[in-house]
Amino acid sequence: MRLAVWSYQAPAHVGVTKASSSFSGLHTIVRAPKGDGYAAIMFAMFERLGVPPPMTVSAMTEATLAGAPADIGRVIADVDKRFSPKMIVVTRSGTAAVLQEPLDGEIAMMGPNPVAAEIFQATTHPVRDTEVSAFARTVCEIVNHFAQDGVPRSAEPSVNIIGPALLGFHDVSNVESLRRIFADLGIAVNAVIPLGATPDDLRTVGRAWLNVTTAPEHSRPTLLKLHERFATPYLESVPYGEMGTTVWLNDVVQILEVPRDRVRHAARNARLGWYARTVDAHALSSKRAAVFGMPSAVAGIARVLRDELDMRIEFAGTYVKSEGDWLRAALADVCDEIIVSDDFHEISRAIDRTRPDIMFGSQMERHSASAVGVPCAVISPPAHILNFPLGYAPFMGYDGANHIGDVVNQTQVLGLEHHLIETFGPRGQGQFAEAAPELQEAPAASAAASSSELRWDASAEKLVGRIPFFVRKKARSNIERYARERGIAVVDESTVLAAREKFGG
Amino acid sequence: MFETRGDVIERDDFCSLAPIGWLHHKMQDSFFLVVGTGSCQGFLQTALGVMIFAKPRFATAVLDEDDLSGRDTLTALMPIAKAVVEEHAPKAIFLGSTCTPEILKMNVAGCAAPIEAETGVRVYPVRMDGFDASYTEGEDHVLGAMIARAPNGEERNLVILGCLSAIEETEIAIECRAMGLPEPSFLPDESALALPTIGKNTVIAPIQPYLYQACAYAKRERGATILESVFPYGPDGTRAFYEAIAAAFGKSADYGARERDVWAACEHELATLRDRSIAVCSDAMLELPIARTLRAGGIRVPFVSTPKIFKKFHARETAALSGVDLLELPDRFEVFSRLSETRPDLVVANLNVANALEGMGFAVKWSTELSFMPIRGFSGSSALFGLFAGAMRRHDALAKRHARVGTQAHPIDLEFFRPQTHRAPEGVA
Repeated sequence: MRLAVWSYQAPAHVGVTKASSSFSGLHTIVRAPKGDGYAAIMFAMFERLGVPPPMTVSAMTEATLAGAPADIGRVIADVDKRFSPKMIVVTRSGTAAVLQEPLDGEIAMMGPNPVAAEIFQATTHPVRDTEVSAFARTVCEIVNHFAQDGVPRSAEPSVNIIGPALLGFHDVSNVESLRRIFADLGIAVNAVIPLGATPDDLRTVGRAWLNVTTAPEHSRPTLLKLHERFATPYLESVPYGEMGTTVWLNDVVQILEVPRDRVRHAARNARLGWYARTVDAHALSSKRAAVFGMPSAVAGIARVLRDELDMRIEFAGTYVKSEGDWLRAALADVCDEIIVSDDFHEISRAIDRTRPDIMFGSQMERHSASAVGVPCAVISPPAHILNFPLGYAPFMGYDGANHIGDVVNQTQVLGLEHHLIETFGPRGQGQFAEAAPELQEAPAASAAASSSELRWDASAEKLVGRIPFFVRKKARSNIERYARERGIAVVDESTVLAAREKFGG
Repeated sequence: MFETRGDVIERDDFCSLAPIGWLHHKMQDSFFLVVGTGSCQGFLQTALGVMIFAKPRFATAVLDEDDLSGRDTLTALMPIAKAVVEEHAPKAIFLGSTCTPEILKMNVAGCAAPIEAETGVRVYPVRMDGFDASYTEGEDHVLGAMIARAPNGEERNLVILGCLSAIEETEIAIECRAMGLPEPSFLPDESALALPTIGKNTVIAPIQPYLYQACAYAKRERGATILESVFPYGPDGTRAFYEAIAAAFGKSADYGARERDVWAACEHELATLRDRSIAVCSDAMLELPIARTLRAGGIRVPFVSTPKIFKKFHARETAALSGVDLLELPDRFEVFSRLSETRPDLVVANLNVANALEGMGFAVKWSTELSFMPIRGFSGSSALFGLFAGAMRRHDALAKRHARVGTQAHPIDLEFFRPQTHRAPEGVA
């Protein structure tokens, strides 16, 4: 046993589900106790799906423990009837794996082609695989399953974009950014995998001239498999930053034999390079940054900060341990300290030790950084709903480079403003008052100020102090209104309750 | 869409670890140590902690391959428990066993006494697996474990059972004083060590419909009396609850006038809802009392679905709902079918399906909020109806504005995420 409080990666079955549910026309069945199906709520809430997520939990119950069969065949038949998917992906959580239910046997017993959908069993190991490795392997296996040999290359140059997924970090925007670039270059996008790809898209995956990726850690098995089957060349690098995107595009146009001058056309709206030259950004040379998260995002963004904004990188790192060497190689000339660890306390201590001027990390680093007063921009999962923007906010390509510049700018300015307010602003005013409830009100004082004749006894004060701070002010004014209307001079516990009875809240 | 009625049970329920959220918040000196898998940890992080990557008073002892292949549980658990004591200095540890230890038949509960002896910190063993328990029953099991450690005695006392906010507790204490009853004890209280006497003269008043096991245990093992009443939701339920408490202590109380006053005070919310229909869908097991008080407030309830109905424990609630279609442990799509048949004005549903139902054109109030808002008692009634009225008003207002402008809120489905390269604009080859 090991003590775990926060972790960067979800268990393997969540990785499988993120991959399989991102394809169009697929449905995932997770064999697990009902609680293990919590990924469903992430699809529903974070991606704001207006339909039930394409996954079903086949729940283990007490009866299962007593020896009742999983009856997975019945679940498969039902899902087939209800959703008419092209493929049903079956996976199980670690708990289900411990019980060693013979799901394979039950599926085999159904005979050949028992339902309209194809049935696919994930081969990931529920305990040994991680979220990232399970995702990468599942995408590869599903692509490999559908891909058809003998498909001719497209007439015009084309690419597959491999890596974007539901619950991916700003992936919807990243895909749009790359799509705009390819449109500028006159390159067709053959398929985006897995996000939205249908089995038909996958059958003709061999048409593309080149495979590119938004996250090598999520795509490497697929890139290799497609290279093996279709001899499709691939790029493992990811286009972060203005320089980075240009270097990447130079490779793309060389492989696809597209005229090189089109790259300049695609870069016509790039502004990060110019931003770096403007005097406002000169101070960035004295700023120290640290970057932690998914390996390809860290490699890309650390390089943008160093190469394009001339910041110093205190440390960089990743929690995907299998990618540690890859990251060390990718950032060998960018920073000295690379941290490869999935212990969030270790990263937290590194932030505290180095006190960078700006942190780039996951939501977890955002919290560690804020504890020591370091501003932090979120650039990697684990993410929260606020990292699923409604608008266009890419991190990749030229538009992504502009966005990274904005993120740096906004995060830094915020840090500066904070200091200004601390130094010159009156306490408890300005935009940070909201975030610091202790500055908002001295309860007794505000009560006295709002009404000279009204007093609060200690028990009422204590009770109202326990109302959540964000509604306390309103509750207090309701209570005082109630008391004044009734000529009550001293607010006590029963006044508080009676007012609440009257006004709610 | 999804009309096919199948027999697969897709339960819209969460893991029974979820109540750790409100319980650890209530008992500030507690620590919840869960023995389970990475999924348990992942759930706790996703459900309870995603915005607070701090030093929480809950953690998971994640089983590794040695544990799966039969390593002694206590040997593995003791150093972890000691580390928790060292780091957090809790007054009590709730040691939760989950699905995997149950499958492996690990004796997690048996580790409680040796850990307590070694660390000097009280350890409550709790079964928190989610095989058959509905998610709020996690609280039931925690309170049952506390009752097992509560002192026995002859004292004639009143125990209010179920996690409440300070403001709800205060109302109950004030009313008990007014009725001349003994000062009530609350379980849980702010300390995990605060345990009331539970014996043959104890009256236990359960606040929540999901506290059946703890009540049954107290009755069976200690001879305690379990209050027979509807639960204190809404003016009608609260009145019945207080009057039943008075009766249990041989007194009579009449809260009729008070109930009428509170109904009147709720009028500003009820006016929005009256004569409209609200379907209450399976979630936290609060569905029966919520539906009952909605009906009492003049709202039509086409059907109620709930994870479990305890025939005797819920008898008064089900009696008050006579004529309403009740579904126990429904399949998600069974509920969808009922909704498309009855087309209620508002659907109360949990977070798994709330957005999907909005996507199908229903107005939705997400029900998970009912679990952590102070909506019980007379003083919570207005807030209770306010949750539904607020959702209704918002829906009505947005719909009216959309209609005026001629816009529509298009739901997002998987097709939305297909890049535009695949979607030729209409009329373009």
